[in-house]
Amino acid sequence: MMEKIVLKGLVFLGLFFGVYFSLQQIDWMNLFHIQQTTESNEQKIGELIWKSYSQSETLVYDSLVTDAIDSLLQAVCESNDMDASKIKLHIIQNPEVNAFALPNSHLIIYTGLITECENETELCGVMAHELAHMELDHVMKKMVKEIGLATLVSMTAGNGAGQVVISSIKHLTSSAYDRNLEKEADIKAVDYLVNAHLDPEQFANFMFRLGDKENEADKYLQWVNTHPNSSERAAYIITYNLTKPHGSFELVLSETTWEEMQFISGY
Amino acid sequence: MTTTTPFIYRPSEHECENASNSYLMSLIAVIAGLPFPIVNLIATFFFYIANRKGTYFVRWHITQALLSQASFLVFNSYGFWWTISIIFTDESISNSWISYMITILIFNILEFIVTIYTAIKTRKGIHVKWWLYGDVTDLLVKP
Repeated sequence: MMEKIVLKGLVFLGLFFGVYFSLQQIDWMNLFHIQQTTESNEQKIGELIWKSYSQSETLVYDSLVTDAIDSLLQAVCESNDMDASKIKLHIIQNPEVNAFALPNSHLIIYTGLITECENETELCGVMAHELAHMELDHVMKKMVKEIGLATLVSMTAGNGAGQVVISSIKHLTSSAYDRNLEKEADIKAVDYLVNAHLDPEQFANFMFRLGDKENEADKYLQWVNTHPNSSERAAYIITYNLTKPHGSFELVLSETTWEEMQFISGY
Repeated sequence: MTTTTPFIYRPSEHECENASNSYLMSLIAVIAGLPFPIVNLIATFFFYIANRKGTYFVRWHITQALLSQASFLVFNSYGFWWTISIIFTDESISNSWISYMITILIFNILEFIVTIYTAIKTRKGIHVKWWLYGDVTDLLVKP
């Protein structure tokens, strides 16, 4: 009797997992157009947010600044097989030290960050960190978590979009990601920098410097508020960096271009 | 999936009603539209507690209903918490998740049909033994 029950139990489990593994052979994601729907929603949300956000900000059009930052972005993207043309880079005239990613690959950099960085590699580190958030799909995950999937979907349909857009901008520009997501983005940023022959230690230095200022009530250090525990993070960036093989480090911009760009950004 | 066998005695009207209700208890969460898989088991468990000293026919069927609920709880809970992690954590919708949800949906629909069928049959005093669960119940419940 007992043997019969065990045998039937095993047949039952076999049947269950047999059905499960057979169903796994079907590409449900493609069949239900889940990927396409997600991408199209992100596009709509990204454009709504950017349209609303850009109205209240002053964009920098000076080609010396935009071209230089674009060169840095190209350098990081090309060495990491990323399509740089998909990234919509925007420089905002704002003294706050801040950079962030918006849905649909909008990368926002404040002039305050450019002037705070001591060299181009520090800036590339911050950019690589934000690119990692984009590539790892953290931006939409954060939106879903903080705003809610249902609200976001209704936003793409235009229902009460105004209020949701304002709330989304607030979350994306001034609140931190999860600790785990930040660590994931930091680690990925180190990989990006190493592949681009840029020194990740400079990125860690920047974090250390921010860490020192964490206790100061500096209203312009927005990136510190959205990226807390900078010193701790700088430490694990250095530890992880030690495990990576390095060649020689290179510079993307000439020293004169960097200095001119910093001067214009701070003007 | 089920076999109809003669019971050792002819159950009374009241016994048939109680035995049939034990299966209906396991459908309570579906009727209430609740997504929590534990609700079915709790409802069946309390019905089991209330009737564990009942007659052999009632005890036999309440045990079979409870066993089926307990085993489905494992599969359903896994699917439930997987879904929760997709909504609230970094986990995202994947092919594996969709396949698992379809699998548990198929098994739950089959169980739902068999449960209703058994509830109707036992109400008429017909003894319905489920494949696997009937054997385990035979082992656990003695006259």
